[in-house]
Amino acid sequence: MTQHTHSDVRFLMGNEAIGRGIIEAGCSVVAAYPGTPSSEVLESLVRWKREANHPVYLEWSINEKVAIEVAYGASLSGVRSAAVMKMVGLNVASDPFLSAAYLGVRGGMVLVVADDPGPHSSQTEQDSRFFAWFAKVPVLDPGTPAEALEMTRRAFELSEKYEVPVVLRPCLRVCHARQNVRLGELHPSVEVGPFKKNWQRWAAIPRFRLILHKELNEKLKTIRTEEPDAKPQAIVNGSGNTLAVITSGSVSSHVRDVVDSDQRLAGIDVYKVNLPFPADADALQAIVDAHELTLMVEETYPVLELQLLDRRKVEGRQSGFVPSQGELVPETVEDLIVSAAGLQPTLRTPPQVKPRRPTLCPGCPHRPAFFMIRKVFGKAVYTGDIGCYTLGINMGAVDTCLCMGASVGMAGGFVRGFKAEEEATLVATIGDSTFFHSGVPALINAVHTKSPFVLVIMDNRITAMTGGQPTPASDYLVDGAAATPVDMERLVTGCGVDFLQVVDPYDHDGLEDTLQKARAFTYDERKGVSVVITRRPCVRVPNAELSSDRFLVNDEVCDHCMTCIRDLECPAFHYRKDEKRMEIDTDLCTGCGFCVHVCPAQAIEPKKA
Amino acid sequence: MYEIILCGRGGQGIVFLTRLIGDIATERGLGVISSETHGMAVRGGSINSHLRIGPFYSPLIREGRADVLVSLDPAETANNVHFLKPGGVTVENSPGPDDSAVRRIDASRLAREIGRVQLENVVVLGFASTLAGFPVSSEEIAARLSKDPRETVRAMNLKALELGAAFGSGRA
Repeated sequence: MTQHTHSDVRFLMGNEAIGRGIIEAGCSVVAAYPGTPSSEVLESLVRWKREANHPVYLEWSINEKVAIEVAYGASLSGVRSAAVMKMVGLNVASDPFLSAAYLGVRGGMVLVVADDPGPHSSQTEQDSRFFAWFAKVPVLDPGTPAEALEMTRRAFELSEKYEVPVVLRPCLRVCHARQNVRLGELHPSVEVGPFKKNWQRWAAIPRFRLILHKELNEKLKTIRTEEPDAKPQAIVNGSGNTLAVITSGSVSSHVRDVVDSDQRLAGIDVYKVNLPFPADADALQAIVDAHELTLMVEETYPVLELQLLDRRKVEGRQSGFVPSQGELVPETVEDLIVSAAGLQPTLRTPPQVKPRRPTLCPGCPHRPAFFMIRKVFGKAVYTGDIGCYTLGINMGAVDTCLCMGASVGMAGGFVRGFKAEEEATLVATIGDSTFFHSGVPALINAVHTKSPFVLVIMDNRITAMTGGQPTPASDYLVDGAAATPVDMERLVTGCGVDFLQVVDPYDHDGLEDTLQKARAFTYDERKGVSVVITRRPCVRVPNAELSSDRFLVNDEVCDHCMTCIRDLECPAFHYRKDEKRMEIDTDLCTGCGFCVHVCPAQAIEPKKA
Repeated sequence: MYEIILCGRGGQGIVFLTRLIGDIATERGLGVISSETHGMAVRGGSINSHLRIGPFYSPLIREGRADVLVSLDPAETANNVHFLKPGGVTVENSPGPDDSAVRRIDASRLAREIGRVQLENVVVLGFASTLAGFPVSSEEIAARLSKDPRETVRAMNLKALELGAAFGSGRA
């Protein structure tokens, strides 16, 4: 988001364009939880707010459920609001989401929910348009960053007009695309007047919920029949009657480019639906009826396809023509359209791609923590969680990864299945931000039920995986305003934990000693859950405490046991097969020095400056 | 129309280069759309950016259509070479001589010599800007880099750019 004061066109990431749309719409409150591919929306809002001197209130909420509740409260108070998350965040927030659909909103309320077909950085390929349908909430599906800005503004208007929450569903290829985007006018805060008490609406008991459900159904019917976005728009006019393509969202951009780039496809009609739910199903059916064949190309579930009543002349996911999983990349889209047109698809030899696996950064404080957990607990079961430290799988220190907070919850169940004679042990690992997000209730559960496991909270003082967002332990909010830092030790103790120790993971002996004590508390003394906080700031934050020390491998001492590569998994180590020697890449090394203690042959020595 | 794939490892500054080229194209009033990698992969994994200048809607380049592949890590070139059109050129950060399809520059060494290996991305871009048909010139890139308010960063970037451009035009 570079500055151009003389111009109103900028090269913006889709998420920055959505942030801009939120502020152009006169939104007053935005609450979010970071998650790829959504995180840059709130981050860009910090910059838009500063640039426009806009009064919008911004927060990273503790989790997505709270984010939606904060946005919903703001909407009832009479201002426009937004909640921003990735699609699995909507699972966490589904309770307020579905209820808010019935109750309705006052100030326009938009939920930005970023989908990740592929998936590239997520646990599922779920389609938030389908979730919106389930919740009976209208959903807009932008195709490009420029369109995302426009649609964000329209989403607020739609929400306010019908008094329903509206979902904006950008896919990864919109969120993390960049495009030259024309900025619009900034609006001051839009308000609908102060909150008026009305318990039959805002605290509706079941009897009134039935009435509200009927009202919601009527709103959806009106939107379906009257809103222009619910109708398919012709984006490529082939003026033929043989083949039509109906598409939506980011994949519509691939469709458009594929059809535009191939003369043989010039006769195809392409229609795009901006509001895939509630779509004007009659208009969709009319397209199907007017063509010999209609191909449905949408990410990732058959949302438009399922709204068609007669699918006999339709190819899509339901007919098996379109793959039921995986991202619809342009090559796939080309093959689908070319095949549907009765032409021979291009012969493709699958590229020989061997992607490098992601690893914890050199100097990452999680690395020594995982190394020592493995050393102390050996063949224990390791429940893991969502964050950079999921990469503990590379070190054999993460066996499971379900969803945010599940390392703690699952641990409580795993230990019930262990047979007494096995002497089984379990270590759960979770990051600080994930612990705040959803680990806390699970820890209370574990304390209360006397669950015998060791919990290691890997506290790097930041939400690292998603780009370094503050956590509830930070003393600042996203825009730099003062925050009250929540003390993790007080929180853990408050959960009822009797064993809590904090240790620096770079402290080799201290770390080993602390983990041994936790093991003794939980397994020898059988006193229930023990908690160890391994605390050291992420090496990627600006105030990281990096060392200028560097190390080298003494070739005469090194016996090539590979502990540094296999067990410590430090990316700074390279084994030169040709020279049969181990070396340390000083560009990558951050000087943490943990390897010095780990090397069985004691071959690693300080490098003299 | 011009389509570029940029590839490397997470942390090498691929996104920085993508933005730089896109900003310049935008300033010139050209249509430009790109796609970049974020998330788990940026922890040292393989990453690439697609950048398309022209009347495009999709941010992704199809296989066999890129004009140039800019590779900051020779180990990543093979993972992306399928995007190149027949006759397309690869610009690679590696020692060694050129061949018919690959132009090489030891940008890591050059960047290290001026004090920061992290500048290798700008060295490679300076080199790429000297290719026939490359959509942005080293003068345009220099003008853009000169806008950085941080004096040291600005000076280092300009020096790295000049090194790469000089190498490409046979001046070094």
